[in-house]
Amino acid sequence: MRKALLLLLLATPLLAAVPPAAKVNAVTENNASCDIGQYPAATLLLPHFEVDINSQATKALNTIFTVINTSRTPQMARVTLWTDLGYPGTWFNMFLSGYDAQTISLYEILARGRYPLTSVNTASGSASIQNLQNPYFVQDEMCNTSGGMAGPMMLQRLQKIFTTGERDEANCRVGTSHKNAVGYVTIDVINSCAITSPLDPSYWTETLLFDNVLTGEYERINPESTLGNYAGGNPLVHIRAVPEGGAAGSDPGTALPYTFYDRYTPAGARKFDRRQPLPSTFSARFIEGGRTGFQTNYVMWRETLTAGTKSECDYALNAKMPVARAQIVRFDEHENALALAADAFAPASSSVPTTSSMLPPMASADNGGWLWISLDNGASKRELNPYSTRRPSQNWMIVQMYSEGRYGVDFDASWLANGCTATPPAAP
Amino acid sequence: MRRVCLLALLLLASSVAAAPGVKKTAVTTDNGASCDISTSPAATLLLPRFEVDVDKHPSEAMNTIFSVINTSRSPQIARITIWTDQGYPALWFNVFLTGYDVQPISLYDVLVSGLVPETGTRAAVGPKSAPNDANPKLISTEGCLQGNVALPPALMADIRSMLTTGVAKGKECKVGTAHDKAVGYVTVDLVNSCSLLSPLDITYYSQLLLFDNVLTGDYELINPDKNLGNYAGGNPFVHLKAIPEGGTAQSAASPLPYTFYDRYTPTGARRIDRRQPLPSVFAARFIQGGTTAFSTDYVIWREGTVSATQDCAAASNASVPVTSVVRFDEDENPTLNAPAVSQSMPLTSSLSTTSSFFPPLVGLGVSGWMFLNLDNRLAGQEKSPYSTSRPSQNWVLVSMRAEGRYGVAYDATAMANGCTPTQAVAKTPGGPQ
Repeated sequence: MRKALLLLLLATPLLAAVPPAAKVNAVTENNASCDIGQYPAATLLLPHFEVDINSQATKALNTIFTVINTSRTPQMARVTLWTDLGYPGTWFNMFLSGYDAQTISLYEILARGRYPLTSVNTASGSASIQNLQNPYFVQDEMCNTSGGMAGPMMLQRLQKIFTTGERDEANCRVGTSHKNAVGYVTIDVINSCAITSPLDPSYWTETLLFDNVLTGEYERINPESTLGNYAGGNPLVHIRAVPEGGAAGSDPGTALPYTFYDRYTPAGARKFDRRQPLPSTFSARFIEGGRTGFQTNYVMWRETLTAGTKSECDYALNAKMPVARAQIVRFDEHENALALAADAFAPASSSVPTTSSMLPPMASADNGGWLWISLDNGASKRELNPYSTRRPSQNWMIVQMYSEGRYGVDFDASWLANGCTATPPAAP
Repeated sequence: MRRVCLLALLLLASSVAAAPGVKKTAVTTDNGASCDISTSPAATLLLPRFEVDVDKHPSEAMNTIFSVINTSRSPQIARITIWTDQGYPALWFNVFLTGYDVQPISLYDVLVSGLVPETGTRAAVGPKSAPNDANPKLISTEGCLQGNVALPPALMADIRSMLTTGVAKGKECKVGTAHDKAVGYVTVDLVNSCSLLSPLDITYYSQLLLFDNVLTGDYELINPDKNLGNYAGGNPFVHLKAIPEGGTAQSAASPLPYTFYDRYTPTGARRIDRRQPLPSVFAARFIQGGTTAFSTDYVIWREGTVSATQDCAAASNASVPVTSVVRFDEDENPTLNAPAVSQSMPLTSSLSTTSSFFPPLVGLGVSGWMFLNLDNRLAGQEKSPYSTSRPSQNWVLVSMRAEGRYGVAYDATAMANGCTPTQAVAKTPGGPQ
């Protein structure tokens, strides 16, 4: 102890060379930063889902998620299922009475066509405010019942969109092709049962609300006993409105430099949604191989290149969004670093094994390490910038690990700078 | 669609007249500048609870493993402290991290075999990393020079005793509660030397701690027992950033109202650690029962109730009270525990949601969520060890299992950040609003 203190005293001259503390505009209030954390939010993002629509429920890979209204006031939530190229394949509204929790099985929707049934006429709990008593609701547009069964034709169409990407245009695809239904989900707090498409600018200016009241999580379940036998769960990405509150259409301005729904908001009001933007740069752990047969997948959600276009042929642009080769560095457990020889590409939502050629190879016989990844697609550097400002594109990463055919864990990768950062850290 | 818009416009004026407006707040877009906890590089990492079956063969023993990553190119030193469930530091050691280093640590290996990671300044650095002497904030690397050896068996027996029975050699008071497995929590701090100064010594905070937000990490709890376990759960550490980051201990004041290490910091410099404080109120999902035999545990970390300097301090942390817990079933029916039920727990615990600690589930449903205000209500009391009158700090993880083969773990949602004063935290549902 005395030795340690002595060392500290002797070392004082060395500290003269230490750079001072960072000067930042620090704020301690809630809903007042660009940092994505797990606090009640106005939008929730499920970055990736995968549902085996062809197997029996007891054997099918499925993704379920829960949305909780943490306020005593009733809320409406708009749930949108997007394809892996960022096309809104289907959407529905959910009525949440005060303190309500609603669990949604994507297998029920995509394999059976059963949308969750909610109603303003259900009894609310004794601690909740009565249904319809949300001053931001547009009362005449509150539906008695939301959800229900999709007919066989509609279900078939839905399944086609999420497995083949095929919709109305014969030669265009709004999603990539895969055996399972794949995509991502957003959940927004809204003011009515309006069925306006999220591709319609009026959705953002007339329907979207701004109260940070929603929370939720997802579970990914693979019950297949030979190939799966595990589950992974994680919170949804909680995207807060900054500042929060106010009616649909209110525009108090936001200090955010751009927003999560940047591409969809109307010209002249590009920050209307006030949602926090997502980061571009991450560090993500991996373990692959070893005596327990560890595997790691990275789930990547990426902001697309298309604006809120209704032209189905535009979505092919989102199939191969670039990741610059120098922007992915793999470190093994001895800090040996390797980058890719060529640029990589990924769609809006994907799950990629760390052994994939999209990621740099291992530099040694180590079984673990981590990756430094910037998923910026570089679009804002182009002449036809799809975004409202010159800035990195938005992304999210989840680490999924499996082992021994029985263990599975999901957790968020660590972001290295928040989404408001104009110049994120440079690649190692 | 047009009808919707028209109605929306027509009704807006009347229906929104009574609505509260936009909340005006000062906003920051800077990094390392808010009180919000997020999974981004930090100066301290918290593993809220570990559990290690120290009496079983490794192939059958429940274990907790974790990884610490240095996201910077500069070398760093991480101090790892293993605390009992009453907040007594049973064991600590330093890990030297070269630039971009990752160190996996198995607590089974540490607690059963006495093996701490072999790290040191002689380790080769990677091609992208700065040399091992290139961090000017590391005032000494003495003691980091060579790989560590296995800790002596007698010492490890003492440590296991603290973590399983709470009995510490030479101490009159218990430092932990009794359980079959070794239980506690772990902190990982960025420090400036490989000094072995105790974290109960105030100079640890004023002279050893560093403030660069460069560490990240995750942990996995693995239960390989095929009859009782067969699952794993993993999650990021709780990442506690230094606000503002960088510099030396004396080089900046923190705008935070209080800090994570509040109880340990020296008089006159109570915010010297600059670490973000943790919240007090949470929303946590549960599923219990049903056809797939779901079960949910809440892993709860609590701030201690006494300062580091008090004798037998740890014993007071065996039973820390909470403010309120409300359970909502699937139909939003709220239930509260009767006032007579004593709601208290040690500093780290894992409680089944069927436990009598929580209000009972009414009705036939099997799921819902709970509102947990875990403030220990010491603020303002004469015996409060805290520097200000504020809610106590806490963290909650949801751990779900089903069918003897599925297991997931994730953080509960904090209803407000740790800088929120007592009067502004979310009100108890059903109570005065």
